[in-house]
Amino acid sequence: MSIVNAFTQFTTGSVRVVTRGSVGYFAWVAALLALIVTGLVAYMGQFNEGLIVTGMRDPVSWGFYIGNFTFLVGVAAAAVILVIPAYIYKWKPIKEIALFGELLAISAIAMCMLFVLCDMGRPDRLLHIMPLVGNMNLPRSMLAWDVVVLNGYFYLNLFVVTYMLVSYYRGREPNKYIFTPLVLLSIPAAVGIHTVTAFVYNGLAGRPYWNASILAPRFLVSAFCSGPAVMIVLLQVLRRVTDLEIKREAIWKIAELMAYAMFINLFFLVAEVFKEVYSDTHHLKHLEYLYLGLGDKTALVPWAWTSLIFSVVAFVLFLVPKTRQNVVTLNIGCAMIFIGVFIEKGIGLVVPGYTPSVLGEIYEYSPSTTEILVSAGIFGVGALLFTLTSRVAIAVLRGDFRLRTANQG
Amino acid sequence: MPCVGKDEVRRHREMTWMRVDRYFTGEGDDTQAVHQPMMCQHCANAPCETVCPVLATVHSTDGLNQQIYNRCVGTRYCANNCPYKTRRFNWFDYPRADELQNLALNPDVTVRSRGVMEKCSMCVQRIQEAKAEAARTGVPLVDGDIRTACQQSCPADAITFGDLHDTESAAAGLARGPRAYSILTELNVDPGVTYLADVRNRPQHASGERHGQ
Ligand code: SF4
Repeated sequence: MSIVNAFTQFTTGSVRVVTRGSVGYFAWVAALLALIVTGLVAYMGQFNEGLIVTGMRDPVSWGFYIGNFTFLVGVAAAAVILVIPAYIYKWKPIKEIALFGELLAISAIAMCMLFVLCDMGRPDRLLHIMPLVGNMNLPRSMLAWDVVVLNGYFYLNLFVVTYMLVSYYRGREPNKYIFTPLVLLSIPAAVGIHTVTAFVYNGLAGRPYWNASILAPRFLVSAFCSGPAVMIVLLQVLRRVTDLEIKREAIWKIAELMAYAMFINLFFLVAEVFKEVYSDTHHLKHLEYLYLGLGDKTALVPWAWTSLIFSVVAFVLFLVPKTRQNVVTLNIGCAMIFIGVFIEKGIGLVVPGYTPSVLGEIYEYSPSTTEILVSAGIFGVGALLFTLTSRVAIAVLRGDFRLRTANQG
Repeated sequence: MPCVGKDEVRRHREMTWMRVDRYFTGEGDDTQAVHQPMMCQHCANAPCETVCPVLATVHSTDGLNQQIYNRCVGTRYCANNCPYKTRRFNWFDYPRADELQNLALNPDVTVRSRGVMEKCSMCVQRIQEAKAEAARTGVPLVDGDIRTACQQSCPADAITFGDLHDTESAAAGLARGPRAYSILTELNVDPGVTYLADVRNRPQHASGERHGQ
């Protein structure tokens, strides 16, 4: 049977796989769809009225959308980088870890692109910013680079995943001469997307809060906390629902690596705080706004401390072998680390960069209802994408979903 | 226009292309203010231009930093990177139903549209018109032929516009003078606007109290 034929059958078969399931599955999908529709309605409002319906204004011109974007780039990057330890420590289902990592990456990048789209003042001119179609400011603009690398990463992962799944579906092992180099390529690409995203902020001389050389390294290590957190939860689910051999030790090892990553992240934070506090220049104001507030402007303070405390607690939970190997504390740790990094790389990164503004004014940003609904909708899209693709992947891996041909029986 | 005025500024929607920053020295009855008009500095090494992903803000052959409204996709990245905070984003649409208001708009200037960035254009429409006129008549432009709107309306004649490459021009002369200084030069953006230090004659005040030198 030709590959085109097999692919067509795979596609139609996948539709069948995702449209069947238990009540719980349908309830979950319905909930996600409801979330997406709400987000869409909110976005229609924004499309009609303009960005005035968000909490962003001239002093704080990026907010929740770009914060989420930054965070999700990290998730996308780290999910794939996890292949390295899987390979080094010879965790058993290395191909599966790579596969699900890439599925996660695809969903996360899809969300990233939607967040950028929602943040644009003129989404109707999207083509201007599309690689090959538009006339982009390369090689100068970091944002243009970001669009290029994110698109590249998206298609790379999409190809690898489709290739692997279709191979298994046809009852063949993926050709390792195609599969291995591509997975290996996706690792530097993962580092690349997150580095470029950090450079988007990093290169702005007029914004001292972001103009720190530690930004890109910090991005990477914090990503190494949030991405694997999702993967740990996911691998546990897979162990339940499939007969894949996922060793407990593999999960514990990931948790241990996350503890190291969290330690480096906290260490970088200390280094950053020291530099700012000890030199005590005007640039300290941004950090002060984040952790202490300026006068009665304290909108970010509770968030900043939640993030810090969660990160430290999660670090301890993952460092101590007992708590790292206990299912309950392990998952609590995952949730805490996820939330901790979500705040740190989202609001905690974007907003203090603007506050106080260049003129010294303080505009307290907080996301508007529209922003929150739209963002929730986008997370809904990502979760739905991941649910559906994982469902197909699980069916393929379990052997329930196979190409039936005359000669293969 | 609904974009300026106390109320909108209070809501952080200032849309002026030139704002007047005030710096104060002294206290109580002795307070003194220095005014510093701040608009796009038309940096030669413009940090806003490098970051735009779609080349919507570029340098003209005249040395102006230009904003192309119909290329702009509204990422607001340029505004992040402008150290002078002179860029303005159109967060919303302006009502255009009022015919009288429409008639009051300057036909030479692109009308504000929602979702794009804008800023001081250094009256590019006047520059282009004068250049076209000079090409038509064959009479070369001389210093002072082009006057920007702010220059024209300033009663104190505090603004001088001219070609900095023309060493004979009034603007170039002032920019070479002892009172000339630029703002945030440490960022190496090479602003095209030069300010002149305020000269005062107040013997009881020691020097060094003034801002902006
Ligand atoms: S002043 Fe700001 S907007 Fe104008 S050229 Fe310089 S960086 Fe760009």
